[in-house]
Amino acid sequence: MKRIINLIVNNKAYEIAVLPNRTLTQVLREDLNLLGTKEGCGIGDCGACTVILNGRPVNSCLVLAVQANGCNIQTIEGVADGNNLHPIQEAFVEYGAIQCGFCTPGMVLSAKSLLEKNPKPTEMEIREAISGNLCRCTGYQKIVEAIQAASKKMKKR
Amino acid sequence: MLLLPRFDYEEPKDLSEACRILAGLKGNGKVIAGGTDLLVNMKKGLISPTCLVGISKIPGLSEIEPQNGSIFIGSNLIVAKLTEFEVIKKKYPMLYEAASVLGSPLIRNRATIGGNIVTARPAADLPPPLIAMGARVRLKNRRGEREVELDRFFKGPGETIIKKDEILTGIILDEPPIFSGGNYIKLGHRKALEIAIVAVASFIVLDKPDGIIMDAKVILSSVAPKAIHAVSAEKTLIGEKPTDKLIERAANLASQDCSPIDDIRGSAQYRCAMVEVLTKRTLTAALKQAKKSR
Ligand SMILES: Cc1cc2nc3c(=O)[nH]c(=O)nc-3n(C[C@H](O)[C@H](O)[C@H](O)COP(=O)(O)OP(=O)(O)OC[C@H]3O[C@@H](n4cnc5c(N)ncnc54)[C@H](O)[C@@H]3O)c2cc1C
Ligand code: FES
Ligand code: FES
Repeated sequence: MKRIINLIVNNKAYEIAVLPNRTLTQVLREDLNLLGTKEGCGIGDCGACTVILNGRPVNSCLVLAVQANGCNIQTIEGVADGNNLHPIQEAFVEYGAIQCGFCTPGMVLSAKSLLEKNPKPTEMEIREAISGNLCRCTGYQKIVEAIQAASKKMKKR
Repeated sequence: MLLLPRFDYEEPKDLSEACRILAGLKGNGKVIAGGTDLLVNMKKGLISPTCLVGISKIPGLSEIEPQNGSIFIGSNLIVAKLTEFEVIKKKYPMLYEAASVLGSPLIRNRATIGGNIVTARPAADLPPPLIAMGARVRLKNRRGEREVELDRFFKGPGETIIKKDEILTGIILDEPPIFSGGNYIKLGHRKALEIAIVAVASFIVLDKPDGIIMDAKVILSSVAPKAIHAVSAEKTLIGEKPTDKLIERAANLASQDCSPIDDIRGSAQYRCAMVEVLTKRTLTAALKQAKKSR
């Protein structure tokens, strides 16, 4: 049986009827048409589906939409301020931290959660924070450099 | 894309409603906490319960409460919070260490302590330190509540003594004794998203800082269907004055106390050798802590 749930996604309120077996990834992509959130493995290994749920980054492929009822969610679509990229997104572009881009939404959201808690992370802290996000293209080095650069940029603003 | 089979979903507002629902489902329902084990198993088609019972709205299940000396950890507390609360880091550092190496930051933000226990994976990270520290679990169903030593909770891979209509409400840890110390080391191929090849949790209690060992627990994980005691290592330690030689003897005995299997993560021989190394390291660290603690 479908259930009515309320979500706040990127500061916008939604009321949706969902079947209990649909994941948050599916509802974001298929019902809300927010295609920035990717589904890679579907079982918690890759982090392509990362969203920020009530302030914490999680694997949305392992969250039932009904479990997210009443929650506040941020997806990659909610990171930029209109046409102005977030400093983390800018740094990813500048440092060549994006190749195919499939891991990028998740990487950016994990990095954002890190920098909000810890504005001046060490390299190890950065690597630890993105350890649930796999990238098959960049070899991670440029992603780490981009996050270091973003940390400096954000301090200046 | 991996799809979930169909099921119903219930979200009880309190424990008695949750117990009533589970009893009514007659074994066809399952509690869902963080879902990081359950949903993976359901997506892989390994299980298909007809109803999931979400426990996140039940008050009191997601908190840590001090209770004259001991603490009660609600079963629905996420693993990330075990690494954030100062009281865990200070009083139960072993639990803090195990929580910080579980899965990835993303998994730790959903995975719960209760789920990590009930799922009963042979390589689960939280049970070894909890067993070593003498944790008890509280189980509740419609007829009542019972408290069981975690050491007696596990039967084998995925199998425990919990009944189908019971909910694990929380974990109780007593105040650590004076002059005690513990340490947990997980060995994996990489640092994140890794299932242990071998893990060891050691806990020792001294009678005074330079005194004899009053109690010792050496728990070995990933070398048997469930976490086990290194029985002869523990026996050798108790009643003795700790020396490097004693620790080496205990570590050697620990490697004979287990009979692991060969699998893709490591051979039995390698695992035994690593049990010896990790037992030595965890005992040495536990001893150092015990000498300082008061
Ligand atoms: C990518 C990935 C990496 C992982 N890495 C690790 C790791 O390094 N170490 C590790 O130990 N584990 C790991 N896990 C396994 C899993 O994340 C943990 O075991 C986690 O703690 C399970 O908790 P949960 O809340 O998600 O449980 P759920 O999936 O919600 O539940 C697991 C089982 O416990 C039952 N259950 C849960 N809570 C209760 C309760 N209160 N009362 C009664 N029954 C209950 C459920 O019915 C189900 O059978 C990993 C999983 C994934 C997907
Ligand atoms: S799709 Fe969710 S972790 Fe891979
Ligand atoms: S850029 Fe292709 S997976 Fe990371």
